[in-house]
Amino acid sequence: MIQTQWALIQRELWEHRAILIVPIVILLIEALGSLVGQVTVSTAHQTVDIALLSAANLSETQRAGAINLIMVAVSILFVMAMGVLTIFYALDSLYAERKDKSILFWRSMPVTDAETVVSKLATTVIVIPVVTFIAIIATQLIVLIISSVWVAAEGANAWQLIWTAVPFVDNWSSIFILLLALAIWMSPFIGWFLFVSAFTKRSPFLMAFLPFIVVPMLERIFFGTWLFGQMLLNRVPFNVPIFGGIGDPETMFDDDSEFLALLESGVSLLSLIDVPGFLADPDVWLGMIVCGLLSFAAIYVRRFRDES
Amino acid sequence: MSSLVSASGVSKTYGSVRAVDNVSFEIEKGRITGLIGPNGAGKTTLLKAVLGLTDFEGELSVLGLDPFRQRKELMQNICFIADVAVLPRWIRVRQLLDFVEAIHPRFTRKRAEELLGETKIPSGAKVRELSKGMVTQLHLSIITAVDATLLVLDEPTLGLDIIFRKEFYRNLLNDYFDEERTILITTHQVEEIENLLSDVMFINDGRIVLDAAMDTLPERYVELMAAGEAAEKARQMNPIFEREVFGKRVLTFEDVERTDLEELGELRTPDIADLFVAKVKGAAA
Repeated sequence: MIQTQWALIQRELWEHRAILIVPIVILLIEALGSLVGQVTVSTAHQTVDIALLSAANLSETQRAGAINLIMVAVSILFVMAMGVLTIFYALDSLYAERKDKSILFWRSMPVTDAETVVSKLATTVIVIPVVTFIAIIATQLIVLIISSVWVAAEGANAWQLIWTAVPFVDNWSSIFILLLALAIWMSPFIGWFLFVSAFTKRSPFLMAFLPFIVVPMLERIFFGTWLFGQMLLNRVPFNVPIFGGIGDPETMFDDDSEFLALLESGVSLLSLIDVPGFLADPDVWLGMIVCGLLSFAAIYVRRFRDES
Repeated sequence: MSSLVSASGVSKTYGSVRAVDNVSFEIEKGRITGLIGPNGAGKTTLLKAVLGLTDFEGELSVLGLDPFRQRKELMQNICFIADVAVLPRWIRVRQLLDFVEAIHPRFTRKRAEELLGETKIPSGAKVRELSKGMVTQLHLSIITAVDATLLVLDEPTLGLDIIFRKEFYRNLLNDYFDEERTILITTHQVEEIENLLSDVMFINDGRIVLDAAMDTLPERYVELMAAGEAAEKARQMNPIFEREVFGKRVLTFEDVERTDLEELGELRTPDIADLFVAKVKGAAA
């Protein structure tokens, strides 16, 4: 069972090499960016000057805050890439094999349709977040090494100023939890994409996104309500119920947001993460149920559809 | 239980088209059965039912399993090559071996590598870089290295040139086939497989019109080449089909004593292609 899943997931990575290549490219870009001296992150409208870390007159709190900002800033591009990769991967995963006619070859192997679909679900919900996590850690380390060289060149003690100041365990565990929480929070969409990918005869992208526009419109016209649209708007990545309700998610990354203020105060990232609250949220479980049902539908379609 | 495949009243309908219509047959171990039929006769549909790739009505048991419900177990003991089941173009030869090795309990990687060593296929190449003939060689090498009981081939040599086709069947017989293994094959190029077959099934309009062992054909079928009055006389004996070759009449008979025909002209056993035309066209006439 495990060996089969392992082989199937490896197969997914062979076919969809972007899952590994995109994070590596981002890593290189960010390393290069930090080499130039700063990490620029458009969404956060923040420019964090690494030279800041060497300033001897920074207080402990200010330094911790600056480090927090750098760590988060490094992660944001990866998290966005994770979203895009997941969408493209999921939509392609059960469509490409039908388009290139290899599905009958895959089905000639002793693997059930359920095992196949589960491997694709696992790739989106586990593999892509884990790869993203590893890439984020590697990038953070590279950025910190470059900063250290910078700081050392300024004549300061990089070890003391940076390496003992970064709360690695705190930082990494919070990022890991956040990535998995995001994948689980967005999983109903993943299930939907898998289903469309298994079902559609053409243009999976269009088939997947068109209903998001058409269904709310029809609902508005015929019922005068706005429930589906509201549901969609509610389930965006920023709404992931993991932060225990700090600040307003919509303004989380505005310049004057509470969230940024919190980060700058050098707060422990892990202290912002509320796992019990996440698990107690009925919306989280509802999402997982929807994802499960749609994945079941994808298995059913792959099993019963006769391509001829 | 010596029947490997046992079908009883198997039907499959697509919309209003009855692709396979109440078909019953048995395939025994160690046989090479040719399933012959025109385009759209239901060959591929029937094979798909056998392989568990489509659901159907009726009863079908393959290696004692229900193919549609137990596809995974079945696929451990069945291999198939079809022109519609192409290898994924993005995969590398090495990756393909890695994958099958991890997935398939009856696959011997060493054997596959030996077989591939006899070809010009580089292990680092992607499938898209190989010629169509090489892709078929690759597929056959992998399948030969699987210790499977039943091999199903659906137009395996379609689109290949004659050298690859000959080599394909030579490898099939030399490397793959033994008395423990069974092959079910369809192809348009009947002449090429005629000598390999131990059994033959004709299918037309979703129905089986002939199901016989090859060595019983000479007893049951005979072709008479005759002219003039002799031909006229032979026509009274209910031939199933008649055609004209070089101004002479060629009449095909079913279950007629050869001694009754000998004096009328030259006798011979029809080859598969002629017999097929006789059975299908004769039934239509």
